[in-house]
Formats: sequence, C-alpha cells, structure tokens
Amino acid sequence: MGASMWSLQLHTVSVPVPLEAFWRYNSTRKRTFKKLNIVANGDAKNSKNLPHQIMVVKSNKPNLPVLLQDAVTKLQESVKSIPPPSLLVKKHSGVSLPIALSTMVTLLVIILRNYVAKRSKPNRPGSVADLVRRGQLRSDRRGISNPLKYNDPFNNPLVKVSKSNSTVEMCGQVYRLAPVTLTKEQQAVHQKRRSRAYQWKRPTLFLREGDSVPPDVDPDTIRWIPANHPFATTASEIDEDLAQTNVYQKHGVPFRIQAEHEALQRKLEALQSEQKLGKLVIDPGAAKDFERPFKTRLKTEEQLDQGPYNRQMGSNSSESEGARDSFVNQHSSEEMDKP
Amino acid sequence: MLSLQPLNPKPSSLYSSTFTPPNSLSPKTLKPIPAFRPSRNFYPSIHSMLQYNRKPQLAGDTPRVVVITSGKGGVGKTTTTANIGLSLARLGFSVVAIDCDVGLRNLDLLLGLENRVNYTVVEVLNGDCRLDQALVRDKRWSNFELLCISKPRSKLPIGFGGKALVWLVDALKARDEGGPDFIIIDCPAGIDAGFITAITPANEAVLVTTPDITSLRDADRVTGLLECDGIRDIKMIVNRVRTDMIKGEDMMSVLDVQEMLGLPLLGVIPEDSEVIRSTNRGYPLVLNKPPALAGLAFEQAAWRLVEQDSMETVMMEEEPKKRGFFSFFGR
Repeated sequence: MGASMWSLQLHTVSVPVPLEAFWRYNSTRKRTFKKLNIVANGDAKNSKNLPHQIMVVKSNKPNLPVLLQDAVTKLQESVKSIPPPSLLVKKHSGVSLPIALSTMVTLLVIILRNYVAKRSKPNRPGSVADLVRRGQLRSDRRGISNPLKYNDPFNNPLVKVSKSNSTVEMCGQVYRLAPVTLTKEQQAVHQKRRSRAYQWKRPTLFLREGDSVPPDVDPDTIRWIPANHPFATTASEIDEDLAQTNVYQKHGVPFRIQAEHEALQRKLEALQSEQKLGKLVIDPGAAKDFERPFKTRLKTEEQLDQGPYNRQMGSNSSESEGARDSFVNQHSSEEMDKP
Repeated sequence: MLSLQPLNPKPSSLYSSTFTPPNSLSPKTLKPIPAFRPSRNFYPSIHSMLQYNRKPQLAGDTPRVVVITSGKGGVGKTTTTANIGLSLARLGFSVVAIDCDVGLRNLDLLLGLENRVNYTVVEVLNGDCRLDQALVRDKRWSNFELLCISKPRSKLPIGFGGKALVWLVDALKARDEGGPDFIIIDCPAGIDAGFITAITPANEAVLVTTPDITSLRDADRVTGLLECDGIRDIKMIVNRVRTDMIKGEDMMSVLDVQEMLGLPLLGVIPEDSEVIRSTNRGYPLVLNKPPALAGLAFEQAAWRLVEQDSMETVMMEEEPKKRGFFSFFGR
C-alpha cells in the first residue's frame, strides 16, 4: 500500500485530476479502516498509529482488503493508461495555438461590442431621447430646441454661377439661365388692360344685407356683407377714438384693466361708506360685473383671503388696501405674461 | 449669396459676363399670348453677378409695408410670408409680420409660435393689453416679430380692420426702439373684407401665383384691384415651379406666366417636398440645414425685395451635371 501510495504521489505532479479523486477515495478508505480498527481493538488510543495498523487489522469482512487492492490496481492501471497532459500539449501544440488565439479574439470582440453598445445607448435616463420615449416631449417638435441654421447668409457655397454665366448650380443641380423678356412698355400695356377690365373702388362703408343706404354715399364704395357671414360683424361696439388711443399706448396699464380696477375701487368705496362691509365681506355679484371670465378663479381666491382677515381685524381701510394690492399683483402678473 | 440682376458698372461687382441664350429657349415654353412673344433677336443678353460678403442695401423709405397676396387660396402666401420674413431678419433687418387672416390664421403655425400668441390686435383695440405685449418675438431671430389680428373665433367689425391696421403701422413706426424696417402683411385668400383690410396700409405688394391658369386668373384680378387702390409697386413670385414639367411642356414656364401678367419677377420658387416638412415642423425653410432649393430661392427673393430689384434671368430646365474623369470614384 505504501508503495502504491508513493507511486500515486509521484503521479500527482503530472496527473492532478485523477490523483485528487484517488485521494478522496483513499481518505474515505482511511476513515473506514479507522472505524474497523476501533471496532476490532476497542481502544481509541491506538488510533494514532493507524497507517501501520491498517495492514494487520483483522476485520469481520475478510475479503475487503483484497477488493480494495483490486480497485487500487485498477485505478493505477487506468491512470497509467492516460498520457500526461504535458505530452498532450506537446503533441497538439501546432493546432491549439490558433484555436486559443481565435478564442481570445472572439472574447475580445464580444467585450468590445458590449462596451460600444453600452456607450452608444441612446436612452440615458433624463436625456432628451429618454423624454421623447416616455412621451414627455414630442419628437417632431425637437427641431425648435436645437435651431438649425447655416451660418452666413452672405456667403452661400451652394449657389454657383458657371464661368460662361449661362448656368447656375444650386444644391448640386445645374439649371440653365434664360433672360427675362418683359419690357416697361409691356408692363404699361398690361396695366392699361387691367384698368379697363377691373373698375374698383375701395369699399369704405360696410352694410349688412337689408340695411338702407345712407344719403351722400357713393354706391360703389359700399360693401354688402351677407347676414350669415361667419366672422364679420358690421355692428361696431368699439369706440374708435378709444381704440386708437389704445393702439398708440406705449407704457402703463392698458385702458380696460385700468377701468376695471377703478370701477371695482369705486364699488368698494361705496360699500365702505354704507358700512356694509362689517356684515358681509364683498358682494360677489357686485364684483362679478367687472370681472372677465378668466379672472373668476383669482377673484374667489381673493375673497377667501380677505374673508377671515376682514372678520378678524374689522378694519375697513386696511381691507381696501389689501384688495388694491392684490389687484396690482394681478396686473403685474398679467404684464409678466407678456408674449 | 447669388443675386441675378442687370449688369451694373459698379467697380464693386466681383464677377460679371455676358451670355446669349441658345435658340432652344423658345420652343421649350408655351405661348398663351403670342402677341407678346418677342423675336429671337430681341432677347437681351444674360447678366448676372455673384455677390459675396455684402449686405443688401435697403432701398426706399422705412418701414416698408409689403402685403403678400394672391387671390387664390393655397398658392403659398403664408409660406412666402414666413420665409421671406425670416430671411429678411437673417439679413439683419427688423421685421414685423402681421397675420391678417381673421378667421383662418396659420402664420403662427408655420413659424412655430402658436403657443406664444396670447394677445392679438383685437385685445389691443379693446385695451386689454398694449401693442408691445401683443407682438410675439421669435426666439431664433430676435429682430422678427409676429402680430396676429385676432383669435380664430373672435369677431372684428368689418370696415374697422383697415383703419386699425393703419394705426398699427403708425404705432410701430413711433416705437421707442425705432420702427421696423419691414412690415409684412399676410393677406387672406379672396377679395373680401379681409383682403381690403390687409391692403389698406400697404404701399407695395408681392403677388404669389402658381403656374396654372386658375391661379393666374385670380392673380390678374387681384393685381387689377391693387392698381385701382393705388398700389403701383407690385412684383410677383411664381411658386411651385417644376422644371421637369416645363421641359416636357406640361407646365407653363415662368416666362409664360410673366407674359400673361406683365409683372416684374421677385422670385421663382421650385416645388420642394421640404416645404411640407418644414410646415409640419413649424420651422421655416430658410433656416434648414442643409439649405433646401426652395429655401435658397426664398432667400434670393428676400434679397431682391430689400434692394427693390427684380429678376433679370430665370432658371429654366435642369441640365445634367458635367462629371469629371475622377467622378467614377464617387462624389
């Protein structure tokens, strides 16, 4: 057994894998023998000299060492039959080098490909592409966010006139040039023809169908508007002078806003003088007359703000101040919305 | 930048030469009015100049109030307004574009400014806002501003719009930062109240037409009305020209259109699929990169508008590009 062990230990250098299996096998065997020994002697102290005693043990199963020896010899034979891997490598070295190289190259390519794919992944979280994917942005509107413009309108390389001046090349396509033949006389002839064909006066008066024609008005300058015209209205509710001053206004609060503010102010003052504010906050109906529809939300907020304040303080003058302030804020916010 | 114009003996001109057109020109075009067809010897020679690194010189008094009209709908008035307006802004002039289409405004969409129109002229007249609050400044070119007459469903008293536009032009002139160089008015289709409103403050007009007889008839009538109204400076832009169809004699050539209307040419815009794309994007064609063919043509038209110039040569059919020896290797 000792010799067999030695020979196996020699083999460990060249054949690691079967040896390891054998070691495992051997250690289990040792444990079995130890058990057998303990069973045979009934003494735990002798367990130290286990390897020496193995050979002299008389177990209850007399053919076990023979079996074991058979197995060991079999294994030894099988191990001997396998050529050492070093020889294998030597034998196949000419073929395996390209295989190893190609394997390495494949691995390298796979790693590089993964790296590139990771780098070029478009949807980084938070990027514009990611926003488009999530439906936050419309992809067709993205042109506005990065303006496309070619730099110099005064030096356009895409327009070239040929040396003979007969062709022009634009956007890579060549066009033949032809001279314009229209003369001043021809233009005058056309103008005369049109002045004969189309007699027209600019309409100055617009009347709905069925209206009576006022006196001292040239009937050619009247424009008759059908009653069911979709957007036109002949009735003018706009004061023309006022509209003109509105157009010419350069600074300050626009007229209508100012008027609304002043009217509300007057209303509040009237309510103050009648001492109605002690009981009720602000009459919502009275304020509504001066409010435009889109202001209703602001107004209700204003009322909510003023309600408890008014009840607590009971001071009319400070209340009106507060209302004015909120109105001014409203104006300023409107001015901030300037397009 | 290319500008085709009559030969000018200015020493600044970089390049000029003369050219006699080939005889193949006359049979290539249709002849709707033979009376005006000049003889072959009558053709003047072609003069063109290449102008690099030069700004166009502004001619006439500012602000120049230009109405862009056509009579017929769908010929490209709004596209022309947007592109010429932005071209002028790119050339360094301050521009206010007014969308005069009361019921069916579209200029804001073409410019991509539809979300920024809060106030219109109607609100200015009512006193809800000031004029400077109703002007929408373009973020791409800050010297371009848009003004809409009204929101789609609001009503403006007929007969009042013209007066209002005259006041607007006066108010724009008297602005603190100085009046704009150009006020471009996008006119609605037809010769209705909207047309009358739009042409009221204008002192020159650009007539947009396509080379088909329906559009030409309307254009002729509108030109007549403009002349009756006292607008004498009328130039035309022929839009959606297809050189391949002209070559096959399926479409009137630009020279034929000019013979029928007798108006000086401001520009010839070729048919381009990029126009629809740019309309859908809300991004005018002249800002495209790479520049589209139609965008270049609009830019040249804007250049001529600034200099109160008209085309002296027009582009005819396409010629195959001459390829060099090394073009075999791909170019």
